[in-house]
Amino acid sequence: MSELKSYQNYNVGDQLDEITQVVEQTMIDAYADASGDVNPLHIDPEFAKTTFFGRTIAHGLLTLAFVSRVLSAWNWQGWAYGGELNVSFLGPVYPGDSVRVSGEIDEIVERDDGIYARCQLACFCDERVVVKGFVICKISN
Amino acid sequence: MSDYVKYSSMSEGDDFLDPVPSFEVTKECVDKYIKATNDGTKELAVDDEQGRRVAPPMLAAVYVIDALRTRVGPPGGIHAKQQFKFHRPAYIGETLFTTAQVLKLYERKGRNYVEMTTETRNQHGELITNGMITRIWGKEG
Repeated sequence: MSELKSYQNYNVGDQLDEITQVVEQTMIDAYADASGDVNPLHIDPEFAKTTFFGRTIAHGLLTLAFVSRVLSAWNWQGWAYGGELNVSFLGPVYPGDSVRVSGEIDEIVERDDGIYARCQLACFCDERVVVKGFVICKISN
Repeated sequence: MSDYVKYSSMSEGDDFLDPVPSFEVTKECVDKYIKATNDGTKELAVDDEQGRRVAPPMLAAVYVIDALRTRVGPPGGIHAKQQFKFHRPAYIGETLFTTAQVLKLYERKGRNYVEMTTETRNQHGELITNGMITRIWGKEG
């Protein structure tokens, strides 16, 4: 395995195109319906009041759906066919929050079966980091 | 008898899902997921070269959680970390089977954590996704 600074149109330090998505309770409810994950922490304000958070929070995996949108736009083939995602959920997303998803290539490596880029990922609600991690995607055979 | 899985009932190395649940990738569930997550990825709107329609990679969040929901923890549990490797997207019309194994159980700051590995294959045994999920177990009443 050898490390590269750039490969074709990919360079260490490149920023992925960001997206910002407002998350309202209606979106959380729709995600609960689509995913079947009806944990009351997400959809029942009365139950959520009794929890550490004090109000409903979005599913962490809804936030990852926004990450997937960014990665699909950046490199569909590498993301959908072999992409490796590794993230931690660091804070809640509340109804009304705007989630900004950003990413930056921090490593390009040559492996036996191709060239891979690793991107550092972060999701923010204002300045608060709610998801952090990285993804590794193939960028060339 | 509680209707959820007690933390104390799990052991490292346990197969968590027995029997292994199945998940039908229907057009309806994929469309609902795409709409709920506001995903405009163009590859999701057209058939591939073999005439198949792919699901978003992060539909894994639905079929894996759907499988894990067959044995739920107490209400209020939350997602702490997630790893996925997407071997390929699922196709509409496939039937998926997800297995899960308890990898690690530990306590941190008074909270119980459960790490599980998951593996999803289709009806022909083809590997679709594998991953690792870390959940903070809800408080048991």
